[in-house]
Amino acid sequence: MNRGYSWLVLGLSLPAFIWLVPTLWMVSLSFQPNDVLARTTSSTAFGLVPVPFTAENYADLFTFGQTPWWFLNSLIVSLGMTLGVLAVSTTAGYALARLDFPFKRTVIAVCLVGLMVPEQAVFIPLYTMFADFGWHNSYHALILPRMAVPIGVFLMLQFFRAIPRDIEEAARLDGVGWLRIFWYIMLPLARPAMMTLAILTFLYAWNDYLWPLVSAQQREYFTITLGLASIQSNFAQSEGLGRVMASGVIASLPVVILFLIFQRYVVQAMTAGGSKG
Amino acid sequence: MRERRPRQLSQRQAALLLLIPFLATYVLFLVYPFFRGVWISLHDWNLLAVAFNPDAKDFVGLRNYERVMWGSNIEWGFAAPLWQGLGLIGLALTAFLHRTGRVSRFNAIAMGVVSLLLVVLPGFHPGEGGRWYDRRFWPTVGNTMLFVGLTVPGVTISALLLAAGMNRETRAMGILRTLFFLSQVLSVTVVTLIWQIMFSPRQGLIANITEVAGGTPINWLTDQQFAMAAIVIATIWWSLGIAMILFLAGLQDISSEIYEAAALDNARGPRAFWFITLPNLRRTITLVVVLQIILHFQVFGQSHLMTQGGPNDTTQVLVRYIYQTGFRDSELGRASAMAVFLFVIMGAFSVVQFIIGREKDE
Repeated sequence: MNRGYSWLVLGLSLPAFIWLVPTLWMVSLSFQPNDVLARTTSSTAFGLVPVPFTAENYADLFTFGQTPWWFLNSLIVSLGMTLGVLAVSTTAGYALARLDFPFKRTVIAVCLVGLMVPEQAVFIPLYTMFADFGWHNSYHALILPRMAVPIGVFLMLQFFRAIPRDIEEAARLDGVGWLRIFWYIMLPLARPAMMTLAILTFLYAWNDYLWPLVSAQQREYFTITLGLASIQSNFAQSEGLGRVMASGVIASLPVVILFLIFQRYVVQAMTAGGSKG
Repeated sequence: MRERRPRQLSQRQAALLLLIPFLATYVLFLVYPFFRGVWISLHDWNLLAVAFNPDAKDFVGLRNYERVMWGSNIEWGFAAPLWQGLGLIGLALTAFLHRTGRVSRFNAIAMGVVSLLLVVLPGFHPGEGGRWYDRRFWPTVGNTMLFVGLTVPGVTISALLLAAGMNRETRAMGILRTLFFLSQVLSVTVVTLIWQIMFSPRQGLIANITEVAGGTPINWLTDQQFAMAAIVIATIWWSLGIAMILFLAGLQDISSEIYEAAALDNARGPRAFWFITLPNLRRTITLVVVLQIILHFQVFGQSHLMTQGGPNDTTQVLVRYIYQTGFRDSELGRASAMAVFLFVIMGAFSVVQFIIGREKDE
């Protein structure tokens, strides 16, 4: 390692620290007492160090407000959506990549067009549809629309296409059926791609804001992302800054942990998801 | 052996069985809603009225589009010399660059179309005694474009410089990348929560630092001059990560031999960046820019939560206007017309993205 490299690391550390500051500040504020925060937010080192320290804000989350409940909703919706997307994407992706059937090219083209439709362009008709069915304020209303987005199908399709054909052909010669090949041979091979898709979907589900905002009007069906939006507008008056920040930390914990453990997959997923992520 | 084997599905039957779950959700929750959206946009459709009486909607043809995008006595002329002049310069530049063979045909067409739109679109304005039917629509589109126009270059340039600096596989660089990418996984409501308080003139970190430095804190979110800048800063902070990672992936494809050869010619550091890195990353840069335009044109949360579109509508953006028209004013017909407008713009950029992606595969 030469001197130029050391300077480079040093020079990049400053912007990296600045990048970290807002997150750090949120965490630090969440560990300070509300009555202190009402007076000043810069007690120690501009408030970046939580002195005076308290963990009360986190304890309060369980006694006041609905944060734990919203957290649970987010968990149910995100896991449900992830399972749903995995189920429809792996099956359709395999069929489109490996099986022969009439109008296959047409089906692929039709699905490709769907990639162009942003959520924001269909949320009004979806709203009226779900209202007609009486589906709003339910978990399936929050889960189902995302299952229709074809990005996962194309992720899986690309992956299945890259698997060598001889594995499949050997199984065919032994008289194994298509569905068994899919279930016992292809799915286990597809684990890395499924992991990427699962993380992409989970992140999307956890962080989605617009659809829950129109679909879930009752506070019992808020996701944590939506719940956090509903308490931040009046944070100063009613809730106390420290407690709102603690909610923010709790809301970020699953995705940040996911990111730190599966960093490689998360980066892959977000790159693959691109605009749709 | 043969007799004991269970009956098997033919390839077609298996394909059908595997495709049905996805195709059913796709048709039901994406294809059908899309066309239903177009259909709603052709009606005078009040959310509450239709909810009580499904027949309380009138077919009005394209009137909603007219009411949103058009006005009375609209004329065309050189009403916005700045933008239109820029468009004319763009057209001339495109012609020149194409003649001298410095840009590919595809890029020339893209530049030409953008320039032409710049000349044509800002030229429309209400003539004497005329007015736009919806005074807020075009300014909202303008704000959205301004937001995109500030965010995309901001993200692209900083991500590019950072990626070029971090293009080494060492532990320190790995940690730095993680730090820059971390904010990317946060939800929009966490981002707005953090930055709302960061920008607060009384409690904000920025105000606290300004005060210590002896300055007067700015009321970022309620000052017309700074509100847009504030949501742009928050957005750049939030979404730098993906762009950085895409650039790092692109940088991996440039062989180190080119740099070594250039170093012999004394091209290092900034010179190497300018003459080797940039030209070799051209396609990645285009891809990143297009991806970001699509992503940021759909901005909603930052404006909705940080500034509520204000002050004085300066941060009102298209998706928020659609949301308000539909769910606050209950005017689903007009809101759907705007959503179709959004789709057309997004669709155009998606096609560009698709073409670039294709080129890359070949």
